[in-house]
Amino acid sequence: MINFKQVSCCLGEQQFYYDLQVPLGQVVAIMGASGSGKSTLLNLLAGFIQPQTSSAQIFLGDLRIDQFEPAQRPVTSLFQEHNLFAHMSVFNNLALGIRPSLKLTIEEKSQVENALDQVGLKGLGSRLPKQLSGGQRQRVALGRALVRRKPLLLLDEPFSALDPALRQEMATLVKRLSRQQKLTVLLVTHEPKDALELAETVVFIADGRVHWQGSSNDFLQQKDHHIQAYLGQSC
Amino acid sequence: MSKVQSSRRWFWLSSISFSLVLLPLLLAIGAFSSYLDQAQWSSYVTDTYTWRVVWFSWWQASLSTIISLSASVLVARALARRQYFMGRWLLLRCFSVALVVPSIIAVFGIILLHGKYGYFNQLWQWLGGQPHSYVYGLTGILLAHVFFNLPLATRIVLQRLDAINGETWRLSSQLGMTSMDLWCHIEWPHIKGVLPQLAALVFALCFTSFAIVMTLGGGPKATTIEVAIFQAIRFDFDIAKAVYLSLLQVVFCGSILWVGLRLGRPIDMFASLETSVRNMRPDLKPIFGIVSDAVVLLLATLLVLLPLLAVVVAGLNTAWAEVLLDVRLWSAFSNSLWVALASASLSLLMAAGLLLAQRHWRERYTSAALAVEWMGSVILVVPPLVLATGLFIGLSPHVNVFAINLYIVVLVNALMGLPYMLRVLSVAYLQIGRDYDRLCSSLGVQGWHRLRYVEWPILRKPIGLALALVAAMSAGDLGVVALFGSPDIQTLPLLMYQRLGSYQSDAAGVTAVVLLGLCLAIFVVLERLLGGPSDKL
Repeated sequence: MINFKQVSCCLGEQQFYYDLQVPLGQVVAIMGASGSGKSTLLNLLAGFIQPQTSSAQIFLGDLRIDQFEPAQRPVTSLFQEHNLFAHMSVFNNLALGIRPSLKLTIEEKSQVENALDQVGLKGLGSRLPKQLSGGQRQRVALGRALVRRKPLLLLDEPFSALDPALRQEMATLVKRLSRQQKLTVLLVTHEPKDALELAETVVFIADGRVHWQGSSNDFLQQKDHHIQAYLGQSC
Repeated sequence: MSKVQSSRRWFWLSSISFSLVLLPLLLAIGAFSSYLDQAQWSSYVTDTYTWRVVWFSWWQASLSTIISLSASVLVARALARRQYFMGRWLLLRCFSVALVVPSIIAVFGIILLHGKYGYFNQLWQWLGGQPHSYVYGLTGILLAHVFFNLPLATRIVLQRLDAINGETWRLSSQLGMTSMDLWCHIEWPHIKGVLPQLAALVFALCFTSFAIVMTLGGGPKATTIEVAIFQAIRFDFDIAKAVYLSLLQVVFCGSILWVGLRLGRPIDMFASLETSVRNMRPDLKPIFGIVSDAVVLLLATLLVLLPLLAVVVAGLNTAWAEVLLDVRLWSAFSNSLWVALASASLSLLMAAGLLLAQRHWRERYTSAALAVEWMGSVILVVPPLVLATGLFIGLSPHVNVFAINLYIVVLVNALMGLPYMLRVLSVAYLQIGRDYDRLCSSLGVQGWHRLRYVEWPILRKPIGLALALVAAMSAGDLGVVALFGSPDIQTLPLLMYQRLGSYQSDAAGVTAVVLLGLCLAIFVVLERLLGGPSDKL
């Protein structure tokens, strides 16, 4: 269980407050309007933002993680863009996930090759990010998530810069990898389609709070006016 | 208004600008060529003094560049890491002020600190040491060059560091990177692209630096080509030699500029020193980093602050009444003010004409537009003192150059300001062309209305900044005016230089404060008045 207990923070004028439990081993879609606080939830979990109240607690299973530095947390993040270091080869971009000094053992090197294979980029290790397509770049980032072997994968609109076909391809890849590696995936997305296809659970956020949580099949049938307004349906 | 009429109008303005930029240059070239047959080439080429001057010019510029750039990387990194610290305001102010401080003032401040009877030697003596005289020569020149170029270079490096996106910092903190990893994998790859260009810029500024070398060089051991030209004219009356040195200088400056242009796109010299707050680096907590950043930021602040403070303290003496009542001071003051405003306006006129032509030609005549762009950088290839030498030689058979010296000073200062003017204005100005040309012509907004409602609101900030910069620089310039200086017509920097030379330290102190005040006042008033309230610099 990922457990947010009374986690609040404040960015600029806006207040955020999260009290939330989601099961492990699932793909969970985080949905909501722009600026409602979807990414803030992931940033709190990854440790990029600190909660502001002392009573706030974030648990991953029994492990309390809100006091940890970002690097100590069992999570890997994937952003919409800028996941790769532009001047570094694909191989080194993955190698960073194992050791920031880039000094890998032979065994670790084969781990990197293996991960490249799994995301379908075998043989492209010496390329630079600019020599890849947008979809390939996101797959490199996914490959790094694999070599990091963290149980929690946070995806912040990772497909929104991609064409529909690539999007589909990436979604399938994420689904396959998360099953294989038994990952818990938190996916911030704008597309109800992504949620339906990938996620078992949907968390809907409005005005900086968790507004609704339930199975993804129920989500589209909700009569709640916040959700309907978001989906563009009239009540 | 018909299209034909409006296009003819811009061409008139552009023609005026072209003539203002090109005529002095042609006059100088003509003057030089008439002396070519008189030059004793073989004796110059074998002259060991000339070669020592050439060697020293390269040596001091290289050292200044290396020191300024390395220090600027340290300062920029510390500034990027510490977004809030005590004294941040002071540091940013000092670095902004350094853009418009006249070089003679910085030199005075450095002598007050490092001279034989300066504060550092006094401190050293108090600790039991013997006083040293180290400021005249290479050390002093380097100190002054770093004083001016460290703030400039820091802006540019900091801008690159600030362009690193938030995702990268988050990623690095998730990957557990140390400060060293961040440097190798993120920061160095981001700034290394701008360094060659930046080095070329700083090198060119130091290579042609005149006032600093003239005042701190102190003798034949530490003289640059720029100063040697001056000496050939004023002390040796050897015009052929001045022509030879000028040509040498043009060849060197042309090569530096060419290399600089080959190295990449132009850099924004007036980048803000503010950083965005999103930065979330994982290396902010280790105590070593905190201490080293504090030391770097403190030293950078002191480097700029102490000389200025020393100047202000030197101005607080008993001679002020006497100096302020001196009619020479006020005549120099009004001359400097006039030079400043006239140079800035003339420079704006030149820039406006060049930009108009560039905007009209940019689509159909790309090479003409490029030529116009190059025209703005003429002064970088033909440095001020070389151009002034050409004008001196070309005009002296026809007119008394000492009687019209201030006009020549204004012309050369306007040309000196032109690259700055163009840098500040061109982005916004060409952008208006791209964004609004079609919209304006479809709505029939033209001529005065276009100027009033479209161009002015967008351009007033850059115009205010550019005019303020060029005016302040011209008010404090001690270059061309030294060549044409006469006892009758003075400017404040010249008066300051003479008082420094004749050891009237009290009078020099008061004059320095007046000059510094004038430059800062000109800058602030013009920038605020024209640009509206702004906090950019």
